[in-house]
Amino acid sequence: MDTAAILETGAKLAFVIGINLGFFAPVLAWVERKQSAVMQDRIGANRADIFGFTVIGLFHSLADALKLIFKEDFVPRGADVTMHRLAPMIALIPALMGMAVIPFGGTYEIGGHAVNLVVADLDMGLLFVFAIASVATYGVVIGAWASNNNWSMLGGLRAAAQMFSYEVTMGLTIIGLLMYYQSLSLVEIVAKQESFWNWGIIYQWPAFILFLACAIAENKRVPFDIPEAESEIVAGYFTEYSGMKFIMFWTAEFIEVVTISALCVVLFFGGHHCAFISDAGLVALFGGGDLGNILAMLFGVAVFLVKVCVLIFIQMIIRWTLPRFRYDQVMMLGWKMILPLSLVWILFVGVAILTGLMPTPA
Amino acid sequence: MAITIKKIERGPKLTLWERSFVPEILRGMWITSRHFFHNMKTLTQEFALGGGRSKRSIMTLYYPEERPVTPVAYRGRPVLVRGANGLEKCVACGLCEAACPPHCISIVGAERDNGDRYPTTYTLDGAKCIFCGRCEEVCPKEAIVMSDDWAELCTYDRGEMLYDKERLLRPEASLARRLAFLRNNAFSKARYQ
Amino acid sequence: MTDKKPNVDFHSEHHTELLTINMGPSHPATHGTVKFLVDLDGEIISRIDVEVGYLHRGFEKECEAQTWTGVFPYTDRLDYTASVLNNVGYALAVEKLIGIEAPERCQYIRVIMSEMARMSGHYTCLAAGALELGAMTAFLYFVEARELLWDLIEEVCGARLTHNYVRIGGLTADLPAGFGDRVATVFAKNRELWDEFAKLLLKNRIFVDRMRDVGGISATDAKAWGYSGPCMRAAGVAYDIRKTNPYLVYDRLDFEIPVGTTGDNYDRFMVRMYELQQSMSIIEQCLVKMPEGPINHNDPQWRQSSKDDIFTDMESMIFHFKNEINGVPVPAGEVYFPVEGANGELGFYLVSDGSGHPVKCRVRPPCFQLTSSVKYLIEGSMLADLIPTFDMINLIGGECDR
Repeated sequence: MDTAAILETGAKLAFVIGINLGFFAPVLAWVERKQSAVMQDRIGANRADIFGFTVIGLFHSLADALKLIFKEDFVPRGADVTMHRLAPMIALIPALMGMAVIPFGGTYEIGGHAVNLVVADLDMGLLFVFAIASVATYGVVIGAWASNNNWSMLGGLRAAAQMFSYEVTMGLTIIGLLMYYQSLSLVEIVAKQESFWNWGIIYQWPAFILFLACAIAENKRVPFDIPEAESEIVAGYFTEYSGMKFIMFWTAEFIEVVTISALCVVLFFGGHHCAFISDAGLVALFGGGDLGNILAMLFGVAVFLVKVCVLIFIQMIIRWTLPRFRYDQVMMLGWKMILPLSLVWILFVGVAILTGLMPTPA
Repeated sequence: MAITIKKIERGPKLTLWERSFVPEILRGMWITSRHFFHNMKTLTQEFALGGGRSKRSIMTLYYPEERPVTPVAYRGRPVLVRGANGLEKCVACGLCEAACPPHCISIVGAERDNGDRYPTTYTLDGAKCIFCGRCEEVCPKEAIVMSDDWAELCTYDRGEMLYDKERLLRPEASLARRLAFLRNNAFSKARYQ
Repeated sequence: MTDKKPNVDFHSEHHTELLTINMGPSHPATHGTVKFLVDLDGEIISRIDVEVGYLHRGFEKECEAQTWTGVFPYTDRLDYTASVLNNVGYALAVEKLIGIEAPERCQYIRVIMSEMARMSGHYTCLAAGALELGAMTAFLYFVEARELLWDLIEEVCGARLTHNYVRIGGLTADLPAGFGDRVATVFAKNRELWDEFAKLLLKNRIFVDRMRDVGGISATDAKAWGYSGPCMRAAGVAYDIRKTNPYLVYDRLDFEIPVGTTGDNYDRFMVRMYELQQSMSIIEQCLVKMPEGPINHNDPQWRQSSKDDIFTDMESMIFHFKNEINGVPVPAGEVYFPVEGANGELGFYLVSDGSGHPVKCRVRPPCFQLTSSVKYLIEGSMLADLIPTFDMINLIGGECDR
């Protein structure tokens, strides 16, 4: 690999990690507070200020981070010290890794060089995401067990059962979509969505609903937040965590929200493509050549981020509107409702593609 | 008398609309989104476009810049009334001390040269006071009333919450609103048969 | 109740144990400091012990040291979500012991404030129920409704939570001017929020699955346990003291009482929702029917005189001093008077020996009987069912533990 390629990958990696940890994680904390507040006819937290500038409460994320860094970092008595310290990292790192295969832009010719805006262009990109997300389960279960606390153990058991069942289901909901696009590579799926009528949401909207439900369950957000159900088991699997370790669990949850949104955008909403404008047309609009490509690249990334924000907004609305399930209802929903529905959908998609009812994109 | 009953109607099973999760969830999301967009619109109107307080649709007040205006009947911190002659109206009869449920008032009375009784010390323990208004109710001299002081009563030092007579006294003119309420509504003769 | 009984043979065969969990007095879901000692078989509760008493503050003992009028601030803090109801119950009991009746306008205003207190108590219970289930937005909508209602109560009573409004033979103050208009505005907004709350939750499958067929009780069992109030009506028994033993002016008002069928959490929820509507209707009727006139009884022996009289008339001044220092001379005897509290039959049993201090002032708390049946309702259900059941029972620590 020559230096240009290394620099390019490094830049993309820096962008992905930077925008996740630096932008989305703190801003999501702010969005959660403020969006829920405005939905509930109140103002959220708006008092943290630097030299008198409150900036509508954005500094609260910084204040939270500073406060939690200074908190005492304890391990409860009788707990497994190594595992207790390791668990948040096992929860956080897979969440970040999942972003490696998600394309946040297309391919552009800059300086005679094809720049593909994805950190790792894998043939089996989607499988990679699911596989890595499964590892996050370990973080939760290890953290729960290592806390030496009955409440944490209850939370961990619930989390294990829920996350494991919904991974299976999540994989199955997507198969219909994969049959439609005939590829596992996320870059190829995005490339095929250049035309608006090839967007996943047009023909595969049932898969979208099922996939979103499974993904929210995987992420342990309301209505599937039984592992951390505050009113029942205090704080569930992170009862005994404070300070930076607590932040790591929270960041992992927020990063997964972003990952889910990014996945939904890539699979169903056309990725970076602006509707009704083709790639070449966009470059021509910006004047063609290197500058046109660069501007088209920036425009594509902006469109992608806007779509991710809309999906995040929708997930936040879901989180703040719905009550939560009971443990056995979560299991029943996953195994007895979503799984059969996704199997039926796979059958339907197969028949529809064979009979030509659902024309697959080229 | 006949009891009119309203039966809770619930079918033995859920309807199809209820059994499929998605329609009701979407309806719930629509309601909360409507609140969100309406409040965002009024917040923008209030702040970015300078529409002011009248545009506000959220319930919250920006305390401490904006304070709630308490109604006249509100029972805030008890204060002693300083009469027109500059002295307290209290005659140290001890009724408020007897009536106070948590016993937070203690009075030591004495007589002046002209025969008027007055309290040499009047201590009200703000940490014990439950703001019930019994002292105001029983006072035969309109000497102690509940003010509209309810905020910023906290201190870092517990000793500061022990109010003595000087800190409790307030001129009668500043308590005109409350005194008018007591005279015209609470204890006015018209309320009694 | 689900029929998921724990399998004892399974445990001895596989050498497993039940997990004992202490949902202690300080827990997000135990309203008002109750302790649950729960034996869990997986997620199923195989045994539960409910311990109350963590909020016992010695109400009865305190009342023995107070005068009859000085007890009123203490009664506020019994069912603190619906304070005026406690005041009214106690005042009516004392008035029955004395043998007097408050004037008509006073009775109407007592009904209005009782119903507002009932609404406040129901808003709190339903909002907390939604919060415990995770629907935080619905919780805050009802908290907003409750705040607006408390603005009204604040105008009349002087405080939002501990009202201390009723006195023997009357009230502390009359309604302020323009009250009816403000009631109309607040009720319009409250009805809007009621609609939104109902739309958010009542047909939502997630909510319905959590609440339906959970914690149910039959009518015979409810009667055996001594239920009263919304939980009794949810079980199918149409028992409301406002209708069966009418007091104040309830016999002149037209309202329905909602009655359920299975007594599960969904029915209890719905009964409280409909009672909110009925309370609003009662208040509006009272505001129309209320006559002008005095609000305090005419005999100065039993109630405080007006300040005009105290300032000018010697006998009034003497009565005032005697009544405040020694207490109102309630004749010797004993009385029990029940009113329909927010949770059920709130009864006051008073014993007097003719002096100005109560000899005994026992409160019959409605939620004590309800809490004692939680063990029966919950054993065999899942841990996650304990939360909505306990919410809908609406134990108020101040009332149960006194």
